[in-house]
Amino acid sequence: MKFNKLFFALFVSALLVLAACGSDNGDAEDAEGDTDEGGEVEQISVFQSKVEISEPLEELAEMYEEETGIEVDVWGTTGDDYLSQLQVRLNSNQGPSIMSVQNIQVADQLDSYLYDLSDMDVADDIAPDMALEFEDRLVGLPYGIEGFGLVYNKDLVDPEDITDYDSFVQTLQDFEEEGINGLMLSQEAYFLIGHISNYPFSLQDDYMAFIDELNEGETTMAEHDEFQEFGQFMEAIREHTVNPLDVNYDRQVGDFVNGETAMIHQGNWVASMLADYELDFEVGLMPFPLDGNDQQIVGVGGNWGVNGNKDQAEIDAAIDFLEWIHNSDVGHEYMVDEFAHVPGFTHIDADGLDPLAQEVLDASNSGDTIPWAHNYYPADIVPNDLAPAAEEFFLDDSMTGEEFIERLDEVWEGAVR
Amino acid sequence: MSKHHNKLWYLVFVLPLFIIFATVVLIPFFIGIFYSFFEWDGFSANPMVYVGLDNYIELIDDGRFLNSAWLTLEFTILSLVLVNVLGLGFALIVTSALKSANFARTMFFMPNLIGGLILGYIWQFIFSDGFRVIGELTGYENVFRNWLTDTDLAMYALVIVFSWQMAGYMMIIYIAGIQSIPGEVMEAAEIDGANYFQRLKNVVLPLLMPALTISLFLTLSFSFKIYDVNLSLTAGGPANSTELLAMHIYNEIFGYNNYGYGQAKAIIFFIVIAAITLTQVYMTKKREVEM
Amino acid sequence: MRLFKKYFKEILLVITALVFLSPVYIMIVNSFKSRSELYENVLALPETLTFEHYIRAMDRMNFGLAFFNSLVITIISVFIIVILSSMTAWMLARKDNTLSRVIFMTFIATMLIPFQTIMMPLIQFMDQIMSTTGLPMLNTRSGLIFMHVGFNASLAVFLYHGFVKSIPISLEESAEIDGASKFTVFWRIIFPILKPITVTVIILNVIQIWNDYLLPSLVLTDQSLRTIPLATFYFFGEFTIQWNQAMAGLVLTIIPVVIFYALAQKHIIKGIGEGAVK
Repeated sequence: MKFNKLFFALFVSALLVLAACGSDNGDAEDAEGDTDEGGEVEQISVFQSKVEISEPLEELAEMYEEETGIEVDVWGTTGDDYLSQLQVRLNSNQGPSIMSVQNIQVADQLDSYLYDLSDMDVADDIAPDMALEFEDRLVGLPYGIEGFGLVYNKDLVDPEDITDYDSFVQTLQDFEEEGINGLMLSQEAYFLIGHISNYPFSLQDDYMAFIDELNEGETTMAEHDEFQEFGQFMEAIREHTVNPLDVNYDRQVGDFVNGETAMIHQGNWVASMLADYELDFEVGLMPFPLDGNDQQIVGVGGNWGVNGNKDQAEIDAAIDFLEWIHNSDVGHEYMVDEFAHVPGFTHIDADGLDPLAQEVLDASNSGDTIPWAHNYYPADIVPNDLAPAAEEFFLDDSMTGEEFIERLDEVWEGAVR
Repeated sequence: MSKHHNKLWYLVFVLPLFIIFATVVLIPFFIGIFYSFFEWDGFSANPMVYVGLDNYIELIDDGRFLNSAWLTLEFTILSLVLVNVLGLGFALIVTSALKSANFARTMFFMPNLIGGLILGYIWQFIFSDGFRVIGELTGYENVFRNWLTDTDLAMYALVIVFSWQMAGYMMIIYIAGIQSIPGEVMEAAEIDGANYFQRLKNVVLPLLMPALTISLFLTLSFSFKIYDVNLSLTAGGPANSTELLAMHIYNEIFGYNNYGYGQAKAIIFFIVIAAITLTQVYMTKKREVEM
Repeated sequence: MRLFKKYFKEILLVITALVFLSPVYIMIVNSFKSRSELYENVLALPETLTFEHYIRAMDRMNFGLAFFNSLVITIISVFIIVILSSMTAWMLARKDNTLSRVIFMTFIATMLIPFQTIMMPLIQFMDQIMSTTGLPMLNTRSGLIFMHVGFNASLAVFLYHGFVKSIPISLEESAEIDGASKFTVFWRIIFPILKPITVTVIILNVIQIWNDYLLPSLVLTDQSLRTIPLATFYFFGEFTIQWNQAMAGLVLTIIPVVIFYALAQKHIIKGIGEGAVK
């Protein structure tokens, strides 16, 4: 019987492999207790959320191992499930030595794991307002500074023409008559509502206090003029541009590149997408003119944190590795050129940045900026609550901007219940 | 002596697998039940507060949960029909004497191998651009538009993609069922002068009852716990119109960090679907015996 | 006319299969395109047939090692599943008492649990086992194999159980009267009869285990242990997805399974004439 032969072959190969496997258990079990007798650490691990920098980080880790003999194991996962993976690992004592802490809300959840980094040498070099602090402890070093806003085609748009609501709407109308799409959002939760919803928050005197009040139910968005105007802006976008729900990120960037759309609401990270195309125009980044705003909005997209639940020796080794990245020439080179980050540190020079990143850096250096508020939103409220509300708004033309803001109030209340 | 022996054999045959199964599935499931009595954010270093049955009581008025449960039921019924009609149809075709059957058998099965974000990307393209072109060509533009941006139609889009993926899987099970029909029975029916559809109705389908039981149950279980296709195709949207239960629970646990509450939802969800599906298995198994 | 009718059916089947497969076409053509080409036209054939994205994808995935890991994990898991599940299912079907029914129903009921709801307790419990007994459950191939067996046992037992019931019990009884042990009876008489369903179980489990992402991603952390699906994570960035490489990576992932399936399915398709139970 042919079948029996097949099965026999499977059986034998399985046995062989089993035997081969026996030897793998020996060296793979050191994920955790990786200190040897003398308390010397041989291996640390890094688990981080920005897939885009995985490969250069692995290269850095190799160089570090050659230099110091300490093995740095870089773990990976897709961009969207980092936090739940981290949670599962921390809960089962399988946590990494170094991890990403995306923002202060995550720092709040991870509080009991995060080691205070105030004593690090690089702590003093962090750019103003870019340190991740929680309850007076420094719990994260910034990956880099990022900004978003209206990314525009310099051949089509003059930023002088867009300074407030009226001129914004006028611009969209003009483009509409020319048969060009004035502004394009896209369907992904952060690109649809997450980032653009920042402005009315960021323009409050103290956005954190405002969000706290909102969470407590002591105030509403609807009673503030910035939000009402934001509703008007969104209405204008819905009326004069293509439906963002029909557009994904790839299409948004493609349409921008071939001139079918004049502006997209994106961040400087879009440069890596633009690099895949041959651009025949220059791009710029301008502030979103809500309430006449003329300041760039900048913030930190991720932070390096150290797992304080490890042995002191492993914590020290993790800190050494971070110091090395932030204080060595090769580290600086990688951060700027390979990670393509706008450094969040004053002692790191950034040359040769792409034009969008350069605008972010200039704005940040001038200090004339508004902060990212979405880092302080309740965790995951953007995909879970704000995006569905925005989808309703874009699907239902009869919903006014005012009703949209009321809807946002409703879902916000539901999310923090 | 022999009785004692039989017990020993029973253990030898059943115990090894059961131990592995219990370690990997049962015990974690019971730990999950335990968590459902606590208010906890899901980080073991953070406090767990015992709240008794509060999580269970709370979910009775959770509109989003109930809505999601309703959507899941709708989705399951639709896919149950479509997947099995397609799967059985394919199985009957590819076990026939057609020359291209071999080729088709592999082709029908391939969709099952494509998952994750790429599945979402491809189908989003088909629904947005593909449907628009079909609409322009046929003139039925109110039917062929982007289903994914319509709160009513997005559910059907999800059913189509899921059925596309699962039909080939169920086809395999139906093929196995068809293969186990003794040839003599078919020959006898043919000699008696039964035509194709008579044979199908009176011989093939009754003998396929075991395969049908299995396929119905598997479709039920896969569609009740659908997550991947849901996430990559619609991510629950637009406006939560396709947020099915597994995704809803995942969001409660890892999005809102209400671990205990999310687990309570999972337990209730499990009890309800177990009641439904085990009744189904029991009913169809009973029919098998009668046949 | 008859000839036309015959070929008409053939052609119809081929067309149906191709329509059904059109999404796969999208995946394959776009694995050859640059981002701007992809944007210009998703449906068009690539302008030039370059394997650049495949080479780049294989390089980034460390394909050889990932392939080896996937192969080892899949073969051993499926092998164990087939052996243990067929034995269990046969015993549960033959000793049809209350205990057997409870065990069987437990196996089946757990198929309704979404993995996402038990993944955290699972990994926690594995860590407990590891720290109390020293068994290497996490971050090893053998630990992952153990878990694959546990999670896929239900389906296999379910499939075998249904099939065993259709085998006439007289076969075994006569052998037992001749003094053969249960073990011998099972492997000599029963297991060969189970062949069609065994092939089905193998096919379904190979696919499931080969393509699985979530479980391996939680269990394996070492780069050197990554399976093929895990290694594709590089293409799925926080904001940017490299579709061409991602699709090339997926094509590379599924080719071995498609080949395997095309070979294995011949063992279940013998034409209606030859029944399984003889």
